[in-house]
Formats: sequence, structure tokens, C-alpha cells
Amino acid sequence: MTYSLLIKLFLRSKVAIIGLSFLFFSGVTSILIGKEFISKQQKKVETTSFYQKNHISKTVKFQQNEMGLLLYYLKFAYVNQVEPLTGLSIGQRDIYLGIQQITIRNLEEKKYDSDLSNPAALQLGNLDFSFVLIYLFPLIIIAFSYNVISEEKEDETWKLLCIQSKNPWYIIFQKLIIRYVSIVGVLLLLLSIAMILLEIPLKEAFLATILISILYVSFWFLLISWIISWQKSSSYNAISLLSIWLFLNVVAPAFVNNFLLAKYPIPEALKTSMASRDGYHRKWDEDKESTMIKFYKHYPQFKKYKLPEKSFSWLWYYAMQQMGDDEASTYSSAMKLKLLQRENVSNITGYFLPSLHIQLQLNNLANSGLQNQLEYLDSISSFHEMKRIYFYPKIFENRPVSEENWSSHKVAFFIQKNQVNWLALILPPFIIISILIFLIFIQISKIIK
Amino acid sequence: MLKVAQQTSKQILQRNSTKVILCLFSIILLYAGIIGKIQYNNFEKIRIKYQNEVRSSWVNSPDKHPHRMAHYGYIAFRPKSALSVFDYGLESYLGNAIFLEAHKQNTTNFSEASLSTTMMRFGEISIAMILQLLFPLLIFFLGHNVISSDRENGTLKILIAQGLNMRSLIIGKILGVLFVSSIIFIPTFIYSAILHFSISSFNNEWTNFLCAFLLYSISIIIYSCIAVCVSAISNKSKLALVSLIGLWLILFVALPRSTQAFAEKIYPTPSKIAFESGIEEEIIKEGDSHNPDDKHYKNLKDSILRTHHAVSIEQLNFNYAGFQMKEGERISSQIYNKHKQNLNRVFKNQNNLMSYTGFLNPYICIKEISLLLSNTDFETYLDFQEQAEKYRYELAQEMNDLQIKLIPNKKLSDTAKTYSISKHHWATLKDFNYTKPKITNLLKNNQIPILALIYWIILTIVILIVYPNKIKVL
Repeated sequence: MTYSLLIKLFLRSKVAIIGLSFLFFSGVTSILIGKEFISKQQKKVETTSFYQKNHISKTVKFQQNEMGLLLYYLKFAYVNQVEPLTGLSIGQRDIYLGIQQITIRNLEEKKYDSDLSNPAALQLGNLDFSFVLIYLFPLIIIAFSYNVISEEKEDETWKLLCIQSKNPWYIIFQKLIIRYVSIVGVLLLLLSIAMILLEIPLKEAFLATILISILYVSFWFLLISWIISWQKSSSYNAISLLSIWLFLNVVAPAFVNNFLLAKYPIPEALKTSMASRDGYHRKWDEDKESTMIKFYKHYPQFKKYKLPEKSFSWLWYYAMQQMGDDEASTYSSAMKLKLLQRENVSNITGYFLPSLHIQLQLNNLANSGLQNQLEYLDSISSFHEMKRIYFYPKIFENRPVSEENWSSHKVAFFIQKNQVNWLALILPPFIIISILIFLIFIQISKIIK
Repeated sequence: MLKVAQQTSKQILQRNSTKVILCLFSIILLYAGIIGKIQYNNFEKIRIKYQNEVRSSWVNSPDKHPHRMAHYGYIAFRPKSALSVFDYGLESYLGNAIFLEAHKQNTTNFSEASLSTTMMRFGEISIAMILQLLFPLLIFFLGHNVISSDRENGTLKILIAQGLNMRSLIIGKILGVLFVSSIIFIPTFIYSAILHFSISSFNNEWTNFLCAFLLYSISIIIYSCIAVCVSAISNKSKLALVSLIGLWLILFVALPRSTQAFAEKIYPTPSKIAFESGIEEEIIKEGDSHNPDDKHYKNLKDSILRTHHAVSIEQLNFNYAGFQMKEGERISSQIYNKHKQNLNRVFKNQNNLMSYTGFLNPYICIKEISLLLSNTDFETYLDFQEQAEKYRYELAQEMNDLQIKLIPNKKLSDTAKTYSISKHHWATLKDFNYTKPKITNLLKNNQIPILALIYWIILTIVILIVYPNKIKVL
């Protein structure tokens, strides 16, 4: 009986209607933005494969004589495939270049090329679902619940409640449950809309997304319940809850991030491009033999190709290009190590900051974080290596261009294997939630005494 | 009026919560300044070291063919603005290194954001960020009840009955809030000045710095005015507080991101592949130097031979390959620059749309002017890219000129050593030295936020003149 009455009371209030519809509409907008992002990526892939087909056939037509010269020009696209889930959490995908067009020449000079983007827009960030969930949901939860107790006291209905009801705290509990259920309801509604619009398969990754979203919302509810159970004034609750929101969502992550950037500067990034440039270009001035010795050491299988007596040969040229990559490799792996360090520290920080934890996890599930980028970069290197190994003998033997089936060189894709690490996903929020439940119990037992 | 101000600030300072919040703010500000300086020093140390390395390896390159040098190229590093210690602005999202070589315009790579985890997207703490984003909230918190609490406990009636008019009351209250804010605000600027001084002794950036001080002073006046006015019309302090927080969330959190999404929708950024293939197509249409039957280059060759009364290239007294490359470089960079400008126009349009919301949202207008003053804005970045591209063009053409002048036309046999020129030529190419754009130019090109600021100043004055008479005392 009381439940239906309280539900009516809640749903008739202006705050509830505005709050829930605000969440709903911003959620739907964010999903549409995600959809737009994905379809834009798909369009880019289509443009790229169309371009690649033209580019290869045209270049092959002009460069019929020398395999080495043809491969100097030919570009092969390699795509970091987006998942439907990326539409929910765009993460760092707007910063990184998701389609690389590489030649079999020096890779390190090209590998870190950036996409065309408006830095002002990047800095503001995307209005994706993860933003709505991490920033806006807690605010609405705060708006719904900060005065559940204090309002009764300030309007002096509390005494009335105490007289009329055997257990006034049970009514407060019911009120909070109604708010919790309505918020989770909107969340699930949004996720099902996302599932349809983005065509997300109902697999482990999506289930994990649903689960951590619910855990995140639950965390905020418990936190708020604990704070309001101190029975302070509405203003006190509003200010302290907003401060907590600011701390968790703005100040603390920024605080740690700045520390991270200052603690782990990455000079290796700049050094990599310098080393690969020197590694290749300087070889023109050096003794050919020394370059070839290094090249044969890297690829013993190509020892059978001997340098011709000419001043220029493609064997020497590609050996020089190879040195660009080989000599930059110490710096590029040092850079990767630093990036992993940064990733590691932010993961650890995430154990303590639920907002950061959920963002990192959503990005992991959506293949849109730094981890994905690092794996993509590694994968580009293997793709590049594969092309090299395939074409090197053909160049060194100067096989006829017409022998190759050029139309078989289509756009290739990197698809990250998604393995949900359930422990890392659930344990941190689970611990925080348990602590909050414990604190609330202590508070309740104090009140009942 | 001053008495009201004095009374108000005393009241605010008596609250325990005020003391706690002021302490927290000071800690965050101190941290932001220190970390900003460390980051600046780290970056500049690395940049200067590598910039020198690039220069010395260019100058010390051995004798070689000038076209090899054109491909060896240069790497230009973007210097951090000295005022980035105060306002990071877009710094972290801007590329830091660009490889400059013949025939090809590369992207500016290795932005801090591209080397960062997702945490970066939660934002960064700089002194300016605190003043822009968190300070207004502090002012709202300090000022939300300055009038409403008087109304709640009935002292408002007494004050007015004693002959105080509403306008002086409001202005007095604003001054009171301002006084408390300046307990943090003024030391913050002294602190920033010290930080700034520690990295760049006196130079013309101090004008920018003082302008920034003025800008933020205006901003706290505007926000104090908003806080006190909302307090004046609210019956309850609680209500004033909730409305102010709501206003903050809409203006500072929700509106900027949605405007950005909207701008991207109206002015979509072209994909990189479309951008690059567009340039490539146009260059081929103009003249494809890789196509042996290309008309443009055939005509060029014929006319050159005719004017020099020569039958074959070998008879020319300059290097024809170099001449042809010079022509190719001219055409391709012309086309590239045209496309790049179109692309920049798309970005400008997106950003202008954002700037227009500065008329609704003081946060945007203050943020954008602060970026300009700190040279951490988009325009300055474009200026860097343009200067780098100009340098790249000069480098390529200077090497082409050397080839035209010094390399013979005669084709060498397969086994002969390639032509080369003496290494002393390399030093004639001057080093890449980036010069910052003049602030007056930046402001001239970005009038919208300035106009928005003027609008906010006028609006504040008008409200203070007109509004108080309409407020009910009871």
C-alpha cells in the first residue's frame, strides 16, 4: 500500500519528471552520437577500400618495370575495427588514427601519424553514453535523494511521520528504493535502446557493460544514502554531495593525471621519430657493406641475395629502410613501456575512484582505450612485417609486376580479441560497495539505539 | 554600502565550511601551479635538446646530393607557451613534432593526449581551469545565502526599513562576496606571477598575463553578481543554492559538450582519407610528375628546351630534374595549402559556433579569451603548423635550387658514384625558429569571445541598475 502511494508521490514531483526525462533524452542523444561515430568510421573504411583499389591499379599501370619502385609507392590500409560497443564509449578512439595506410618502407616514421581533428573539440570530450552514465546519472541521483530525510525534517513532516508510522526509517528506505529502481529502469531502458540502435550482440562484453553500469549507479545510491543518514540539513547534503561528485569526477582524476604526465614524461616518443629518420637516411652516406651485414643479420633467409655491382639497387634501398625501423626499435619499445606504465598507474588509481574505474573498463570492453591502441600499433608492425617478407623476395629477384594478383591486396583489419577480466571488472566496485553497506549498517544501528 | 560589504564578508568567513573550502582550494591551486611548472620544464628541456640535435645533424651531414638532404628533412618541435604554466588550454591535444620533408606534408604527431590513458579525458588541473570551472562554484557557494538568509530571519525588512536601498544592499553584498573570493584570488595571481617569472623573465607576455588577471577579475564580478541576484530573488537559501548548482551544471558541464557535438554535426570534419585523396587527385589533374606521358610536364620540358635553344636536356646549363621538382613542389604545396585552409575553415566554423554560446554562457567566453592570452589556443597552433609548412617549402626549394645550380644534367652510368655537393651548403639553410603570433592579431581574428565579454559586462551593469528595484522585500 505505502509503496504505490510513495511511487505516485515521487512520479508526480517535478524533480522526478525533469530528472528522469533529462537522463532519458541525454542518454538517447549520446547513443545517437555513438551511432554517428560508428557509421562515420564505417564510411571511412569504405572510402579507404575504394581508394586502395584505384590506387593500386593506377600505380601498377605506371610502374610496370620495377617491382622495387612499385612497392616504393604502394600503400596498404590497415584498419582498427570498431565494435558496436564503441558507440557507447568512444574513449580515445577520436584521438587515434584508426586507419593507417602504410608502405613497406620505414614504418616507425609513419606509425604514429595523427588523425585530422579539432583539438578544441577533443579537449571538451565526447557526449557519449559513458559521459551520461559517469557524470549525469550521479547528479540526478543526488538531486533525487539529497533531501529525502532532511526535507521531512525541514518541512516538519518528520514528527508526523514518526507518529503515524511504526517505523519511519522504513518509509525512507522505501523512498530510496523507488528512486533507485526508477534510475536503474532508465539505465536499462537506455541500454536496450542502445542494443537495438547500435546492433550490439548480447555477448559477454555487453553483459559486463550492463553489470558495471548497474554497479556504478548502486555505488552512488549507497554513498548518498550513507551521507544523508547523518541527518544534516539539505544545504549541507547538497554541498557535500556535489563536492564528492566534483572530487571523484573532476578533481581527483585530473590530479592523478597531471601527476602521471609529470612523473613519466615520454621523450622516447620524439626520439623514436628522430632515430628512425637517422637510421635510414644516414645509410646513404655509409658503406653499403655495413648496412647489408646488418640486414642479413636481421633476415638470414635473404643472405642468398647479393648486392649487385651497381651504385643503386633495390636490395640496398630496402635494407636501408629496414635500418630506420631497426634503429628506432629501442626507443619505440621504451616508449611502449612508458605508455604501459601510465596505463598501469591509471588502472591502480581506478581501484579507488569508481568514476575512473568504470571509464577504463567501459573503454576496455569497447576496445577504445590506450590498451587497444597499443595492441593495434603492435599489430600494424606485424602487418607491415608480413607485407615486407612477402614482397622482399619479389623485389630482390625483380619478378615481373604482372605476375602478382594485385586485386588480392585488400584493406586488412585488426580486431582486438575481447576477453572480459571479470575480477578486475567487479572486485573494486564490489569492495567499495561492501564498505558503504557496512557504514550504512553502523549508522542505522546508531539511529535505532 | 561598504558596511554591508564588511558585514557580509565577516559573516561568510565565520562559517566553518568556508574555511575548509578555502583551504582545499589553496591546496589544489598550489598543486596545479607546481605540476604545471614541472611539466613545462620537462617538456622544454626535451624539446630544446632535440631541436639542437636536429639542427646539428642537419648542419653536420656529409657531402651528398641535395635531394637526399631534402628527404632527410627536418623535424620541427612545437615550443610550449610560457603561459601554459598558468593555462594548459589545448596544449595536451596539440601535436608536438612534425617531420618536414620534400614532396610531403606530414601530420603533427605525439600530442600528450595520444600518449595518455583515458584519465586525460576527465580533464586536467591548471590554475586557469580552477579559476574557470571551480571558482564560480565557490562564489555560488559563498554568495547563495547572502540575501536569502536575511529574508529568512527577517533582518532584510529591518535593513530596508532603516533606509538602506535595495541597490546599495545588493552591491554591498556583492562586494562582500568579492572580498572573500579575493582572499584566494589575489594570492593565486601573485603565485602565478612568481611561477611565470621563474620560467620567463620580463618580456611582452606580461601584458598577456595582466590581461588575464583583468579577465578573471571581471569573471568573478560577473559570477558574484549572479550569485547575489539569485539569492535576492529566492525565498529560501536552500532553493538559491540548488538553483545555482543547477545553473552551474548546465553552463559548465552539459552545455559545452552538447554544443561541441552539435557543431560537429553541422560542420562535419572530413575523414583523413578523403582529405588526402582529394589533394592527390587535384595534383594529378594539374600535373603528375610520376606519369611519363603527363601533359603538363611534357609541355614544360618542350618550352624550356625551346627558350634555351636546346635539343636535349643534357644541353641545358642547369639541372632539369631539379627544375621539374621545383615546379612539382610549387604545385603540390599550393594545392595542399588550399585544402588545408578549407579544412581549417571547418574547424574554425565548429569553434565559432562554440564561441557564440559565449553570449549565453560566460564560462565559454572567459575560457576562450584565456586560451588566446596564454597562446594555448587553436589559432596559435595553426600558426605553428603554417610556419612549419613554410619552412618545409623553403627547405625543399632551397635544396632544389642547389640541385639546379650545382648538379650536372648528364646521367651517370649504373656503377658510378652519384653526384654530391659540398656539406658547407647545408648551413645556409637557417634553423627553424618559431615566432609566436602577436596577441593583437589573435584578438582581431577572434572577436566573438571579446564581444561576448563586453556583452556580459554591460549586462551586469544594466542588471545592477534596473533589477534591484524589482525585487520584493517580503
